[in-house]
Amino acid sequence: MPLLPAEPGTPAAGAGAPRPRRPDLDPRGPRFGAGITAVLLLVVVFLSLTGASAAALSLLVVLAALFAWGAIAGAGRHPWGLLFKRFVRPRLAPPGELENPAPPTFAQGVGLLVTLVGVVLGLVGLAPAVGIAAAAAFVAAFLNAVFDYCLGCQLYLLLVRSGLLGRGPASAG
Amino acid sequence: MDPILALGSVLALVAAATGLGLAWRARQGRFTEVAEAPALTPADVASTAQFGAEATLVQFSTEHCSRCPGTHRMLAGVARSRPGVVHVEVDLTHRADLARRFQVLQTPTTLILDRTGRVQARVGGAPHKAGIIAHLDDLPGSRHATLAR
Repeated sequence: MPLLPAEPGTPAAGAGAPRPRRPDLDPRGPRFGAGITAVLLLVVVFLSLTGASAAALSLLVVLAALFAWGAIAGAGRHPWGLLFKRFVRPRLAPPGELENPAPPTFAQGVGLLVTLVGVVLGLVGLAPAVGIAAAAAFVAAFLNAVFDYCLGCQLYLLLVRSGLLGRGPASAG
Repeated sequence: MDPILALGSVLALVAAATGLGLAWRARQGRFTEVAEAPALTPADVASTAQFGAEATLVQFSTEHCSRCPGTHRMLAGVARSRPGVVHVEVDLTHRADLARRFQVLQTPTTLILDRTGRVQARVGGAPHKAGIIAHLDDLPGSRHATLAR
């Protein structure tokens, strides 16, 4: 059974229909990574609540750095993704379909933004912000890991709607 | 905060996120019947392709949408297997106006148009193939609906 979608018969019909994408990412990889991230974010929330502000801030810095890695290098090259490829994927059946890495990469950027706000506010002395940012990022990562919810996809559409992204007509039809 | 209380708060956070996820999942792929909508033309959705003689499946996508390619394959397959049914994918990435006009709040969102171009149903999220086929069967004037009478 071919893994890659072949649609030779029906080119996308809409004028601005997405160009053919080359999905190359096992969608279970980012979900696996989101699970690890969610657990660590929960630890940040716990540390923040118990008053271990320094530890909470340090762990959030590490998680923000990991989000930055995913956002810059791409979701396929995230450290958790490498862990998944090395140890988890060999034990699983081949994926039903492959995924375009752009949405999970965008989601990593969203995670970076949220955790970075927490880190900056934590650094200027607003300790509760660390826990709040971690809780917000946890909800997104948890929904991604458990329910396959793509917050990046949702936010991307809302940003397009509000005119902040994708402004102007498609350059190439 | 007391560690036990902190642990309780953390568990409450997990429970809240689970509730959110369950609520989201229950709404995924659900069909909404659309009452009395004006007929659309291909130009309304920036499509260069003609609409189907029996029905048209209009799929709204963006470039950042993990489920759109899978939905595209499924809907294109349904359109291929049914004469007169056409699948049209519309990329909203550069068409914020269409996203606002059709009030698309998530991708993919699929509209089922009848032979006249009227929107008969709408699905937010990845639709199920069986649901799409059942709706196509029930469209007014479809061969299936005529035979059943």
